[in-house]
Amino acid sequence: MLIKPPRILPYGDSALLVDYEVEGYSEVANTQLHHAAKALRSDSVWQEIVPSYKSILCVFDLAKMTMDSATKKIKKTLSQTPKTPQFSGKIIEIPVVYGGKYGPDMAAIKKSSGLTQSQIIDTHSGQDYRVCMMGFIPGFCFLSEIPPALQHPRHPSPRANVPAGSVGIAGWQTGIYGLDSPGGWQIIGRTPLKLFDKTREDLFLMEAGDTLRFIPSSKAIF
Amino acid sequence: MIEVLNGGTRATIQDAGRPGYRHVGIPQSGAADKLSFALANWMVGNRWDAPAIECALGGLHLRFTEPTTIALAGAEMWAQINGLNVKNYTAMTVNKGDILTMSFVRDGCRAYVAISGGLKIPEFMGSASTYLPAEFGGYEGRALRTGDKLTASNRPREAPRKIPTGYTPRLSRHIVLRTRTAPEWELLSKPSQRHLFVSPFVATSATDRMGSRLRGDRIDSDNTLSMTSSPLLPGTLQLPPDGQPILILADGHCTGGYPRVLQVIRADLWLLGQIAPGSQVSFRRCFEGDSSEILAGRNSFYSGEHGGMIEGFAF
Repeated sequence: MLIKPPRILPYGDSALLVDYEVEGYSEVANTQLHHAAKALRSDSVWQEIVPSYKSILCVFDLAKMTMDSATKKIKKTLSQTPKTPQFSGKIIEIPVVYGGKYGPDMAAIKKSSGLTQSQIIDTHSGQDYRVCMMGFIPGFCFLSEIPPALQHPRHPSPRANVPAGSVGIAGWQTGIYGLDSPGGWQIIGRTPLKLFDKTREDLFLMEAGDTLRFIPSSKAIF
Repeated sequence: MIEVLNGGTRATIQDAGRPGYRHVGIPQSGAADKLSFALANWMVGNRWDAPAIECALGGLHLRFTEPTTIALAGAEMWAQINGLNVKNYTAMTVNKGDILTMSFVRDGCRAYVAISGGLKIPEFMGSASTYLPAEFGGYEGRALRTGDKLTASNRPREAPRKIPTGYTPRLSRHIVLRTRTAPEWELLSKPSQRHLFVSPFVATSATDRMGSRLRGDRIDSDNTLSMTSSPLLPGTLQLPPDGQPILILADGHCTGGYPRVLQVIRADLWLLGQIAPGSQVSFRRCFEGDSSEILAGRNSFYSGEHGGMIEGFAF
């Protein structure tokens, strides 16, 4: 499937946003933009390259580059990015204990989906997810689309503390909290894996572009 | 050695920050007011980006256990050494046993205390800056508190330097930020767009190194707009559905789900660090060519070949 070439929008005076005009989640756009982001990051003129679901933020030093030359550089990189690139990235298995005290919002999802807890677990863990973006807090991973039955809006006002490792749902997005943090996502389970660990040599368990596979566990060591 | 007698409201170790990690969710952090921080280091003869103490709102008390040179810059606090007033934006020598007290802030929000040689702080991901939400960097990843002991690198002590006339930034309680538009600007109605530039806002008590929630006349945004989580930058003004904007600061989230309407120009980003709860904040429109000229002018003023004094510094 081919998609429209992205727009390049100014973001303040020293950043540009490469914006893919897609509705909801688009696998093609996301794969394409992660390829482009990788290519852009290899050029040291960029101070930050931040890929996300449907856009890439490119920050440059206005003292060294103009908006025009930055735009040209991005266009050139985009023109060299394959239109239908092959996906590459690690596959990471994430053990998750669903429901109970680890998934305080399981009841809400049961109610809105009309499914039983085991159906919800089967649905949520029944497909692989792309890590579309990291952010919000260190280690937080934003994943690709969840099946429609499980989609659920976030809490109207955020919880004061969501424990690290919590697996949540927000609209069509699902993700895992990297640290204890306030947050508004619907929490259905928790993984004992540390997505971000400041004492570990590999600080992060994953990077954008990787694939996650949730493995339901009855008991995990927390 | 420097002993912390009182950490005050919130004092952290900061340097120039750790840029380049927003894609993994780590903001650059670093001194929220980069200019005052750089001037403080310059006055004691340090590199502009040496680790220093950033004291928000006041209350920091320090005791020096050996003679050294220190400098104060940034927010206007009532600073004293052994009970005698000392001036902001000056460097001074302190003796063994001297006690520096920073009382409550009058103008601005954050004061910087630089120590000759720079503070000796282990780096995390290339920087000594404290990032409190993830508890890393700086002094054990946390704000300074009573009993903490800091050491400066033992480089020969430099004589205090005096900032030349005209180079001291003036802080006021009304902070005016020049901006360019951000990606969702076009989604605002024309009246709302105008409104953002004419209506002053007040920073609420929800103001810290991550961001500042502003209060003012409600700005109507298109409530039907649902956004996918997208990247943010320090200096981005987000507009949630309640119409009360949020300004992102140095430690702010790297992504967010509210429309991004304005972005503070690079040359004015240092001012974000001086927004205190209760400060007035206004936004102005800056034209594209002006923004790069302002930046070039400011950079050359402070670090250019002719008269610029802070080597290597850039806004």
